[in-house]
Amino acid sequence: MLQILVVCGAGLGSSFACQMSVESVLQDIGVKASVDHSDISSAAGTRADIIISGKNFESQFQRYDLQVDLIFLDRLVDKKEIQEKLVPVLKAKGAL
Amino acid sequence: MTETYFTKDNVQFNVEVKDWEDAIYKSVGLLRKNGLVTENYATEVVNNVKKYGPYIVLSPGIAIPHTRPENGALKVGMSLLTLKTPVYFKDISAPVKIMISFSATDNEKHLEIIKIIVKIVENGLIDKISSITSLADLNNLIGDDLS
Repeated sequence: MLQILVVCGAGLGSSFACQMSVESVLQDIGVKASVDHSDISSAAGTRADIIISGKNFESQFQRYDLQVDLIFLDRLVDKKEIQEKLVPVLKAKGAL
Repeated sequence: MTETYFTKDNVQFNVEVKDWEDAIYKSVGLLRKNGLVTENYATEVVNNVKKYGPYIVLSPGIAIPHTRPENGALKVGMSLLTLKTPVYFKDISAPVKIMISFSATDNEKHLEIIKIIVKIVENGLIDKISSITSLADLNNLIGDDLS
């Protein structure tokens, strides 16, 4: 199954909250995926197809040079923004 | 889960703070007072914000100070502050009006707290909460919305 990882500084708050919004969006658009949350320092070693994080972590992820699709959000619990940015990635992956 | 309710012991309205650091110390101070975190926890949050940027600003108007369990969390719990004067965080244009600090002992057990926070944001309750001055009004607003 498609693995989506939501990442924030501590991996407990923003990422967990964002995970809920992502799960809600996935349900709305009828895509099944496994969603989890994690902190930035362990994200580099985690297997995922898509990583979602806040804009403030963009430069840090670029340093990691990961071979996954990265989505950066201005608002982590904004379902509209999540859907707008996630749908094209899901389509490109053939999941939608 | 009693720790996911707002009570007179974990809520303060119209708190005066100097800046974002002071807001974190006062907000986390309520967790400390209630025996949920060690003395170190607030400093860890401040240091992580300096290191990673304002990851605790979840959405315009709301910050959720927290850090990893190993940085001084003792039990799962939360606190809420409304700020008399909103504070600014680096690189974030909208000032923060309410602070919901929480402590987590692993990656999952604080799920109910996150649910409350998500509801507050998704249902657009931040401005309403920032103008509330009584606990009864707060619990009515959130309780109504959660039911």
